[in-house]
Amino acid sequence: MNTKLKVSEISKIYPGCTANDKVSLEFGSGKIYALLGENGAGKSTLVKILSGVVKPDEGEVFLNDESIKLNSPLDAKKNNIGMVFQHFNLFETLSVFENLSIDSEKKDEDLRVLVNDILKKYNFKIDLDIPVLNLSAGQKQKVEIIRCLIRNPKVLIMDEPTSVLTEQETDDLFTSLKQFSKDGILIIYITHKLKEVLSLCDEVAVMRKGKVVSVSNTIDEKIESLANKMVGENLNTIKKKINNLKSSEEILKISNLNFKSDDPYETNLNNLNLSLKKGECLGIAGISGNGQNELFQILSGEIITEGTSIMFRNKEISKLNPRERREYLMAFSPEDRISQAAVPELKIYENVALNNFKSSNFFEKGLVNEKKIKEHSKKILSNFSVNTDNVELKSQFLSGGNLQKLIIGRELITSPELLVCFNPTWGLDVGAINYIHETLIQINEQGKSSILISTDNDELLKLSDRICVIYKGELSKIMNADTVTAEKLGILMGGGSID
Amino acid sequence: MIKIERRNDVSRSIYFLTPVLAIFLTLFGGGIIFYILGFNPIEALKFFFITPISDLYGLSELLVKATPLCLIAIGLSFCFKSNNWNIGAEGQLIFGGIVGGGVALLFYNHDGFYVLPIIILSGAIGGMLFAMIPAILKTYFNTNEILVSLMLVYVAKLLLDYLVVGPWSNPEGFNFPETRQFSESARIPVLFDGLRIHAGIFITLITVFLSWLILYKTYLGFQIKVSGLSLKTAKYAGYKGKTMIIIVFMISGACAGLAGVGEITGPIGQLHRNISPDYGFTAIIVAFLGRLNPVGIIFASLIVALTYLGAETAQIFLQVPKYTGQVFQGMILFFLLGSDYLLFFKIKFLGLKKNEL
Repeated sequence: MNTKLKVSEISKIYPGCTANDKVSLEFGSGKIYALLGENGAGKSTLVKILSGVVKPDEGEVFLNDESIKLNSPLDAKKNNIGMVFQHFNLFETLSVFENLSIDSEKKDEDLRVLVNDILKKYNFKIDLDIPVLNLSAGQKQKVEIIRCLIRNPKVLIMDEPTSVLTEQETDDLFTSLKQFSKDGILIIYITHKLKEVLSLCDEVAVMRKGKVVSVSNTIDEKIESLANKMVGENLNTIKKKINNLKSSEEILKISNLNFKSDDPYETNLNNLNLSLKKGECLGIAGISGNGQNELFQILSGEIITEGTSIMFRNKEISKLNPRERREYLMAFSPEDRISQAAVPELKIYENVALNNFKSSNFFEKGLVNEKKIKEHSKKILSNFSVNTDNVELKSQFLSGGNLQKLIIGRELITSPELLVCFNPTWGLDVGAINYIHETLIQINEQGKSSILISTDNDELLKLSDRICVIYKGELSKIMNADTVTAEKLGILMGGGSID
Repeated sequence: MIKIERRNDVSRSIYFLTPVLAIFLTLFGGGIIFYILGFNPIEALKFFFITPISDLYGLSELLVKATPLCLIAIGLSFCFKSNNWNIGAEGQLIFGGIVGGGVALLFYNHDGFYVLPIIILSGAIGGMLFAMIPAILKTYFNTNEILVSLMLVYVAKLLLDYLVVGPWSNPEGFNFPETRQFSESARIPVLFDGLRIHAGIFITLITVFLSWLILYKTYLGFQIKVSGLSLKTAKYAGYKGKTMIIIVFMISGACAGLAGVGEITGPIGQLHRNISPDYGFTAIIVAFLGRLNPVGIIFASLIVALTYLGAETAQIFLQVPKYTGQVFQGMILFFLLGSDYLLFFKIKFLGLKKNEL
């Protein structure tokens, strides 16, 4: 049984971003295909189109030379396309077997025979009658895979399947995938991990900014060559900033940062150590989901970890909450500007009052000093060129760029010694990006420090004095920015190592 | 195909007008029910909503019922605004009543101006402590406050049952399940001879004013508002989430406790099994009908109080069970939630596209 899957000239445009730009790819059974790319490269959109979740604006999908319409996940199932998403869709309180029988038309007895055959054939060890919540992440994934196998899939798509798995579970998964492939199932494997591509897949298609930039046999590729293709080679031309303020004064020192989460979708952090000098920008690169979220929250004080030492300007602040850290002149700009850094339903001046510390006198003797907050807000709006002077406006009516200016302004108007920002320019237009970048360079020039956690390598190379990479909750060594190339970053981000 | 989309901006005036719309829809729905039951809908609604308040006595009764409803709903608004779902105000009311009543029995045969304030205060503290149980369990053991606060209602009810039947029952009461009548100095004074309206209404009005002050003019109020809109933001701003949960439950419990002690020292004058006709549950409707806004809650409490009175009149004149009152309360909530849905979401009817056929 030979299966051929072809996508032809697929385009999908979202407001403000082209997710897929005339993507054409061909796959044939018996091989494992990797779809490689950074976040936002368009992999997920393409996969969603193949599984019927998203409809393309243009283009067609062919299965065995027949054009097929994928208007819903049901259509994908009918065409024997199976899909295992990164986040599991299982009912936690139901048993494994109940989860499998829910969307199966087969009789329970027949289904049980079939499932037992699959378990035996692929050497899966799962008790069918225990509730799903008692399973490990790897076992849950197996349940999802079995759910696909029941339907005799011709195509099996795996979306970043190893992000929640341990090393051992990853090895098991690869063994199974290779076996499926031998049995004639066409496997498409979506990832941003270079090593996995090399060890598992036969062919690799690299996507960047919505386009397919290369298709090749993995035998012909190395980690370096794939990294280059993934992040793009034109990055060396970006002008780095020159920081003349060489200060030796250490402002922040973090030692033994460990964080273990109960939530399998969070990343554990493993023995992070870093230090930061006055007037310096430390860039932290990495593909999202490698612990950036957790690191930001630990820096801001939203997560308090045991046994970690965070010295800021020679004071131990590891046990302080975000408000208390602000008193020590730290400031934070989270990634989620829309629903965390600001509340859309609140007015501008109320959002400004979120960054409250004693000397601001926003709240005197527990009472709201509206006049003071509004004056302060007006100052932010004009100093940071936010495109309105109406502090009564609800912040949901600000564009992304103006909202980010308001947030950065709110954080910076207090002249903090350290600003921690996380993807400050995602989704913004070029004008706003430049403004934010200039602002970030400016604070370094004024002798203030910053930590820039970002998934945008251009941004990191442009703004950082030193750069390190976070991968699976661990930090690489910290390098001087002028010795860092996009290639090196790409290797480290994909889990490779450099000399 | 039908598509449901969130509306981006909801006008503030319409936001406060939809409760009025819900009330009119309730009247309409009530009319239909009466019609089906074989009554003239206009006449029946008149018995229900006009007759009860067409004399001074009726107006006084309206305020007697609205006083506890408004007080409890104000307290609940603190919880609901900050995303804490305290469903057990009825239990907190009863427990406040038990503590206040216990103190009142303790001061039996005592005279003095200090007796009543002590009783009222102890009632408030009783409600407050009872509300702290779900709050502490939620903050330290991650339990669900909806379940715990609701279950505690039955604990309070059974405790009251036990006390009025057993240890606290009136020694001269021929084994009726009730305590002694409280002494005069333990009673909230009535405002006018011959009417039941009592000075408890001032406690309610003062509480409404204080709540408005706290919610709109203080740092605590601001923190409550932010936490209600986005817990993520509250965490990012560094608000002490756990302390705040406990504070809002304390405020809410104290209000319910006050309502309980107000009932037993006001119109009732003793403890017995049924010190509250589910005021604690009905106040949830009041709080939402009043948009969790202190002024809105005053109006809402008057309207919902009227359904209590209307049910009694209807029972007398139309021989329908007094539970019709609850039917009306249910309809108010139903229509309010329904119109809210249409307020926050718009429904688009799209024609079927060809390739979907």
